[in-house]
Amino acid sequence: MATKTDVDDGIGGYLDGSIAAIDPRRAVLGSVGIAGFLALWWAASLVQPSYVLPSPAAVGETFYAEAASGEMATAIGHSVRHWVPGAAIGTTLGVAAGVGLAWSSVADDVSAPIVRTLRPVPPLALIGFAIAWFGINHAGAAFIIAVGAFWINFYAAYGGVEGVSEDLLDVARSLGVEGDLELLRSVVVPAASPEILTGVRTGIGRCWMLVVASEIFGVPGIGRRILRASNNLQVDVVIAYILVLSLMFLLVDVMFRAAQRRALAWR
Amino acid sequence: MAMNDERGDGGSSPKDANDANGNAEGEDRTVGGAASAARVRVAEVAKHYEGTEGPIRALEGVSFDVSDGEFVCLVGPSGCGKTTLFRIIAGLESATAGEVFLNDERVEGPTPDMGVVFQEYHLFPWRTVRGNVGFGLEKGGIDGEGGIDGEERRQRVDRLVELVGLEGFGDSYPKELSGGMKQRVAIARALAVDPDLLLMDEPFGAVDAQTREMLQSELLDIWRETGKTVLFVTHDVEEAVKLADRIVVMAKEPGRVREVIDVDLPRPRARSDAAFGRYYERVLGLIRGERGTPDV
Repeated sequence: MATKTDVDDGIGGYLDGSIAAIDPRRAVLGSVGIAGFLALWWAASLVQPSYVLPSPAAVGETFYAEAASGEMATAIGHSVRHWVPGAAIGTTLGVAAGVGLAWSSVADDVSAPIVRTLRPVPPLALIGFAIAWFGINHAGAAFIIAVGAFWINFYAAYGGVEGVSEDLLDVARSLGVEGDLELLRSVVVPAASPEILTGVRTGIGRCWMLVVASEIFGVPGIGRRILRASNNLQVDVVIAYILVLSLMFLLVDVMFRAAQRRALAWR
Repeated sequence: MAMNDERGDGGSSPKDANDANGNAEGEDRTVGGAASAARVRVAEVAKHYEGTEGPIRALEGVSFDVSDGEFVCLVGPSGCGKTTLFRIIAGLESATAGEVFLNDERVEGPTPDMGVVFQEYHLFPWRTVRGNVGFGLEKGGIDGEGGIDGEERRQRVDRLVELVGLEGFGDSYPKELSGGMKQRVAIARALAVDPDLLLMDEPFGAVDAQTREMLQSELLDIWRETGKTVLFVTHDVEEAVKLADRIVVMAKEPGRVREVIDVDLPRPRARSDAAFGRYYERVLGLIRGERGTPDV
């Protein structure tokens, strides 16, 4: 029984919690939506050649074949190997920079021109640097993903910290909290945590989108598989791997949202 | 001096007011530990702002003293600079001129020697009741002892939660509490670091009348039990007469001290009492700017 409890307190518990939270009415309506979409897709596929739009059943078969052959697991494994470090590093640096610059007006003023110059650069435009600095490998792809995660987290954390109530800081100071680091740790970061966590969640989703872009220059993974299949007009494979991306996103997002809800239970 | 005739004693200097609280001396201080109260001296404090229509003199030449263990209320009409003065005394804002001393030491900034309680509670919403109360004990916030932890902290937090009557709510988050309960948490949090002075800005202004009365008498109990010096800002004259040993009445434009009144009434004080009414009318008259109000 002890083991059971342990599992419930872990990720299993999060998932149970979020599944229990699903509203039956919404679940039914959602199922109707999916069924309608599949029916439309199927109808459209009847009047199109399969290299334009394969039927849902054909995609299902391809999905199964790719899963059974181990191709899919290999692709996921590769993508995860740059998604995880990219998302982790980009998120960490983005949150740190956002908190730091929102807190320190000097650092903010110094960095403002640089931030505004770099902000509009799309991660894809940095592929040259990724190759030159890291090479055609997981590190290069992680770099592209990290850049995407960085900005989302930067702005979320920046906004969150700007919104921290001056009154809470007064209270903390009057209770003996001294120095920037102590104030950041004990008041600023917890007070800004709802915005920071929303940024992290958005960033994690964005990183899955960037997986495709980050593999455009030859790093293996889900994105590479999609790009190759597109070139060969294997639309069923393309759709199967788009589904894989969606499922990966959904899995991570559901887990994160459950953790987020738990962390922000005080709201 | 009708007041003194009634009470049958001599003048009521701060010293006497202090003696009147002597009952706190002998009691077991469950929270404060060693007796720690404070003298406050506000000396010629002024605060000027640049307004759109020239300089604004929010405070001008404000001086008064609070002695050890005394309960002093600061009342005045809105716009008389009460809250500005509160923030200057707390070290949260600087004065244009003049100084504030706590136990003869100049106040240069916020210090755990003063427990500050605001009208809007300002609890840390991500912390439970116990987490809020224990906040100041987690770091070098208390008397330079470098903070306390573990069992000692838990016990202290428990005692404070009990002192403010929140047993059973220790693990609740602020969002789950009523306004009165939130203010109790804020008071316990301020007391946790064992401040010499409890500095309160309209602490009961945001709760309903019934809760306010309850909190007022609880605050008096806490004051008696801990022997802290209390400086309490309010715009509510009845509240001031009910609580204070002395009332500092302020006037506005510029914000200044109009008069300091000793309240020589035994506690608990009832609004229906004739002497209470006379103090009430007198303070109210001063606030309304009536001159030549009769002595109580």
